[in-house]
Amino acid sequence: MRFASVFVAVIIATALIAAALLINSLRPAVVTSQPSAAYVRATGKCAECHSQAQYSIVHEYELSVHAQKGVNCLDCHSVATGQSGHDHFGFVTNTGVTAANCRSCHEPIYQQFLRSRHAAPAWAAVAGDAAFTQEQVAFSERYQPGGVRRPANALTLLEGASATQSGCASCHNIGRPNADGTIGTCTACHSRHTSSVALARLPTTCGQCHMGPDHSQLEIYSESKHGVMFEAQRSQLDLTAPPDSLTTRDMFVPTCATCHMSGINGLAVTHDPSDRLAYYLFAEITERRPNHDRAQAAMQAVCLNCHTQPIVDRVYHQGEQMVAATNEKVARVRDVVQALRKDGLLTGAPYSNPIDFEYFNLWHYYGRTAKHGAFMGGADYVQWHGNYPILEATVKIEDEAARMRRERDHRE
Amino acid sequence: MTIASRWWRDRRAWIELYATANLTGLAVDIALAHSMNSFAARAEYIPLALSLAAPALLVPAMVLLARGRPRAWRWLGYAVGVASVAVGVAGLMLHLESRFFHDRTLISLVYAAPFAAPLAYTGLGLLLIMNRMVGADSPDWPRWVVLLALGGFVGNFVFTLTDHAQNGFFARIEWLPVFASAIAIGALTAPFVVRVRRSYYTLCLWVVAVQALVGLLGLYLHLAADFAGGGPFTLTRVIHGAPVFAPLLLPDMAVLAAIGLLELRRECSAPDPSAADRSDARHAGRPNDARAGH
Repeated sequence: MRFASVFVAVIIATALIAAALLINSLRPAVVTSQPSAAYVRATGKCAECHSQAQYSIVHEYELSVHAQKGVNCLDCHSVATGQSGHDHFGFVTNTGVTAANCRSCHEPIYQQFLRSRHAAPAWAAVAGDAAFTQEQVAFSERYQPGGVRRPANALTLLEGASATQSGCASCHNIGRPNADGTIGTCTACHSRHTSSVALARLPTTCGQCHMGPDHSQLEIYSESKHGVMFEAQRSQLDLTAPPDSLTTRDMFVPTCATCHMSGINGLAVTHDPSDRLAYYLFAEITERRPNHDRAQAAMQAVCLNCHTQPIVDRVYHQGEQMVAATNEKVARVRDVVQALRKDGLLTGAPYSNPIDFEYFNLWHYYGRTAKHGAFMGGADYVQWHGNYPILEATVKIEDEAARMRRERDHRE
Repeated sequence: MTIASRWWRDRRAWIELYATANLTGLAVDIALAHSMNSFAARAEYIPLALSLAAPALLVPAMVLLARGRPRAWRWLGYAVGVASVAVGVAGLMLHLESRFFHDRTLISLVYAAPFAAPLAYTGLGLLLIMNRMVGADSPDWPRWVVLLALGGFVGNFVFTLTDHAQNGFFARIEWLPVFASAIAIGALTAPFVVRVRRSYYTLCLWVVAVQALVGLLGLYLHLAADFAGGGPFTLTRVIHGAPVFAPLLLPDMAVLAAIGLLELRRECSAPDPSAADRSDARHAGRPNDARAGH
């Protein structure tokens, strides 16, 4: 046998093997260093199909911090505790990503979320406590008293299932109980596949739900100096700054998240948006929250990153004056309506008389708007979307009550 | 020329049988592979149709050849061969189009539809064309067969490398077919680069025999992977799990290479002088050095 022939064969084979090993060694560790072969495949195989079927979700994922940090599809779509899996083109995946999957990496954040009104109380406000376990109800009631142990909203029965499903539930499912035992969905704010902190910091993200006549926060924010400056200087802000090192150099104009959640300039980050709220502004008659003093101090600590103490004190003083005044106005009309019921002039189920809606609009729309407007710097919402319609509704209700009493006297 | 009598001794018949069997077998493979995306594009039915049509044309062609009608055999073979080449090249482009042409990254190449796989059609098409263009008695005939087998092993190398790269070579043994294919490529390339002797072809036959064993081991391991995890062995697992037929490419190429190598070995009329050299060296009382082969 000729040496040259074997030599050529060995050289070619060795070169090919060396090239293969070299190319493989140059692959990023995040692609190859995975707990199982399925996780390795998921770094590229999922995108092979989904980039054709749903290009946007692959592209959104590629833009995400998850992608930058090597979190792949299976990290979120694998079967978490309590979930059931199904065969999906060679992978075993869950049937829907829930907080159970997010908490596998973000447990402290999930625990903060569980204590918030975004969790169980959000769903209970629509559907009551029927779908929650006793443990879940008890847990949430410790942090949000009265938030979960309540019946389903009467409007859901009157308006029907389709209205509830496409309307109420679309926002309130942020706290819906999942079959796997967890509560809620993180993607309501962070979006699926984008998994973005920047997205969650946008006012429009909060405004998906916090808008409209019943809670006009987005409109009030847009009217406020905060909102105007955000629109003007948005391109100069770093919405992607890491939450644990966020400073006013990154976000020198605040969005909803900056004041209510962010750990700006060293403050503690929270995923309980009510953590810095001192009052139940959404309530018919606003009362202090149980953690009023601590919450107010926490919020004012945020304000002081940009404002002086006198300005902060003035805003709180005016806000508290608005709360007291609105409580007084709502209570006055509430007493009128209750007196009508007591005297048998107003009968039937809730929302069965025009006066029910007039009163509901008064506190649920105009009262809330006036209070939120005062704390958030929305003057027009305090006046023309708040106090003016309160006055109008008050006159109408009192006039209607007087008419009903006159008619009763006339009959007698 | 007729091969009616003792047709099995005609080497062209072996290539015809080999190509026909492979094109037919690819029907099953394509059916499974393209079921992965439920034949999402209509073009995915083309190779299946070709694989089903090929035996319907090639078997009668062989009968015609056996009955002394080589012209009909030739043109039917050309038709199937050219169609196979075209389908293979188009398949290569379409598989790369699935993602690689958009992203043009290594990862997109790895996770694209297996771009080397359609070249099986191209190889078989070229084999059919070669079997008609090169005279059966030509000394070039076995070299063409080995060259096409070499092309097949290059395809195997790329295919096993990219396919197992999808798993990140999670199990070390996934490197085995890559290494084996590389060795086969080296072994089969040498005769085209330097002059070789009969003993080298014998060595090559051993090398391709090892390829066959590696392929059979791969078949076992792929089946074991598809069975793993308990539960029923379903068609879904075959479609989306480890590809059952893929490892059989190695013994398949080994058979083709063996056809050519056996012919080349037979045609090496001169005895291997290296044996004599070694004998001389022993008699001369000096060790057998490398120059003995030159």
